[in-house]
Amino acid sequence: MKHDYIQNDLIFYLDNELSVEKKMVVEKHLEECADCRSLLVFLQDGMQVIEKEKDPEASHFFYTRLSARLEEKPKFQAQSQWLQLLQPAVFSLLLVIGIYGGLKIGSNASFPKLNQPATIGIQMLNDFETEPIESFLLDKL
Amino acid sequence: MDETQLIKGIQQGDRKAFQILVENYQRMVVNTCLGIVHNKADAEDLAQDVFLEIFRNAENFRGEAKISTWLYRIATNRSLNFIRNNKRKRFFQSIEETFIGGRNRTNEISETPTDQPDRNITDQQRADMLYRAIDKLPEKQRTAFTLNKYEELPYQQIAEIMDISLASVESLIHRAKKNLQEQLLDCYKKKCV
Repeated sequence: MKHDYIQNDLIFYLDNELSVEKKMVVEKHLEECADCRSLLVFLQDGMQVIEKEKDPEASHFFYTRLSARLEEKPKFQAQSQWLQLLQPAVFSLLLVIGIYGGLKIGSNASFPKLNQPATIGIQMLNDFETEPIESFLLDKL
Repeated sequence: MDETQLIKGIQQGDRKAFQILVENYQRMVVNTCLGIVHNKADAEDLAQDVFLEIFRNAENFRGEAKISTWLYRIATNRSLNFIRNNKRKRFFQSIEETFIGGRNRTNEISETPTDQPDRNITDQQRADMLYRAIDKLPEKQRTAFTLNKYEELPYQQIAEIMDISLASVESLIHRAKKNLQEQLLDCYKKKCV
């Protein structure tokens, strides 16, 4: 239980954020407990990563690259504005052409007159007249 | 040139004023981004985006806060967005891998944020362990913790940057440390380093 109690406060002990009394309790425990000491070292090493990582050396070409980006970005923006206008215009044009083309094709198409297919149908029906079903069946037999 | 003159200059498109601003705050912005993304190249790219935003939107700066507060806000927001986008990309990439199969490693986003060749294996593992633990923190805790640890900012300034109360900052940093300790303790018990 004591270990858990101490281990929960180790990160605050490292940052010197414990009250004087609590700090003394932790230090007393650390003197006696090798496991908690080992954990303290582990935490200390882990948090040291931040100290090693922070404040990296400044890049010498930072402003040069930034300056180049400042130059190129407005061009891109202008281009993208043109694209933003051009895209819907092209799509609308294609749509209009498509509709007009469809109407044109539709008006040029010659529909078969009503009489023509009717005669074909009648001819087929008339086949029954020329050959009644009874004679057809009798022929098969 | 004081801050007001600098901003006035930038608002009028003065490149010299902008260069001075960049030189004055470059380290601060890169360091803040680095504290969140843990990769120097990404941090520099993000810092450049921050300065570009400042140059283009300088007219929006009303002078109510310090330039550094404004820069810190943009830097943390952009870095957090970068992390969110990376997570989203990784998610879609994993879906793609599940359905299509095979791994296209050429365009893969680095899973481990560290890429510093001068570190030995144990240092690298230790760094990865800590970054993973920091990355698991909720965004507000991570922001407050980063500003406190990387930039060593006092709680009051963090409160101004994050636009929250001093008590909230104290609570966020306390919880961030508790969570970090929990994860590091877990790692210690599992002997992951």
